[in-house]
Amino acid sequence: MNKLDIRYIVFFIIAFILQFTLVKYIEILQWKPDLLLVVLVSYALRRGPNWGMTAGFTVGLLQDVISTDLIGLSALSKTVAGFLAGILAGKFAERTEFLLTLLITGLLHDLIYFFIYTLGENFSLQSLIIFYTIPNLMYTIVIGGFLNYFVEPLATE
Amino acid sequence: MKRVLGLFDQRRTLLLLSFYLMLCFILMAFNDPFKLRGIRIAVLQGMSWVYALQNKFSYLGDLEKKNKILHRQVLELSLENLQMQENMLENLRLRRLLKFKEESPFTFISGTVIGYGQEQTIRSLILNIGLEDNVRKNQTVITEQGLVGKILALEPRQSITQILMDRNSLVSARLQTSREIGVVGWSGNLWLDLNYIPKEVQVEPGEVVLTSGLSRIYPRGIKIGVVAEVKENDYELFKQIKLKPVVDFNRLEEVFVIQSADTLPAEKGSD
Repeated sequence: MNKLDIRYIVFFIIAFILQFTLVKYIEILQWKPDLLLVVLVSYALRRGPNWGMTAGFTVGLLQDVISTDLIGLSALSKTVAGFLAGILAGKFAERTEFLLTLLITGLLHDLIYFFIYTLGENFSLQSLIIFYTIPNLMYTIVIGGFLNYFVEPLATE
Repeated sequence: MKRVLGLFDQRRTLLLLSFYLMLCFILMAFNDPFKLRGIRIAVLQGMSWVYALQNKFSYLGDLEKKNKILHRQVLELSLENLQMQENMLENLRLRRLLKFKEESPFTFISGTVIGYGQEQTIRSLILNIGLEDNVRKNQTVITEQGLVGKILALEPRQSITQILMDRNSLVSARLQTSREIGVVGWSGNLWLDLNYIPKEVQVEPGEVVLTSGLSRIYPRGIKIGVVAEVKENDYELFKQIKLKPVVDFNRLEEVFVIQSADTLPAEKGSD
């Protein structure tokens, strides 16, 4: 564990507290940004897939414990998101790397989450993708891009 | 050598990924939230100082605005109260005439929403009242607008409320005009579905839907939503009715937990 990891632990804690408390004030309808995913993608891009999925698993499990839903579901989607973001590091141009990775990992993250979430239920995956995944993801990308602009110098200095 | 190390690294990554995925599936397969209750309490207690700070700031910020709104509400309610008193007296007279058994009155516990469950969609609320405030599992949670949900889990000073927008939430409901009974559940988007209303029943948009009272959890007559859309298919026995919930689940601050002698713990998670 190096200085970067310690900085990101602080970012994860801040993102967790904000996600839990202040994000409700910036909700539009029921759409809200996933700050933990933003920090996870940023971390995985710097530290690679192994650390990315470890961070994803830990953060996801913590979310599961607090939620009333299936335990392991957020852990699974965040693990895959962390892994994928780590794999995608260096695959895109530097300027667009963060946003494109966030888009791809966010999409896969939500698809895994809602696919398992809707198993055996009578409402459709399509509906959840249209009403939650796409608006949430767009919102996350806007907020993520904004945060990354300010957080990146702090993380790399 | 570099290639061998690269292959080893790749294999280690895949092994680690398989390990985490397996762990997630094991957790999902043997899902028992009650065993994790201790951890949940610890996390919630740990977060309680954040809630307290947030509530204080939020309270101070809204004080002036709330004061104005409350003054107006006091005036409106005073006028309404006069009318209600008249109605109550009339009701009492009629009850006496009909020898109706007096219904047990409800008492309310006021609570504040201090957080939302960490799910992808909003499906649970965390309240600042718990076992120490005499809140019990399955008690109904409402606002002045209507039904919010029911108490799902309890900690000494906090409780988790399952809201209507949860896939496991089902409420026995009644159409106000036709008195037809159906079941309200989440539609998977921003609406609620009113199911099992036969095609023969006349339902118009704008009609109010209330709790039916045919339940061991939700008392009768609490507003759930308003009919927004009614559809019919030739090959289905029931209408497809979409409801707009009366409660704005994104803007919830103060809620009330209904306590009454009639509130019995239910055996199943849904109503």
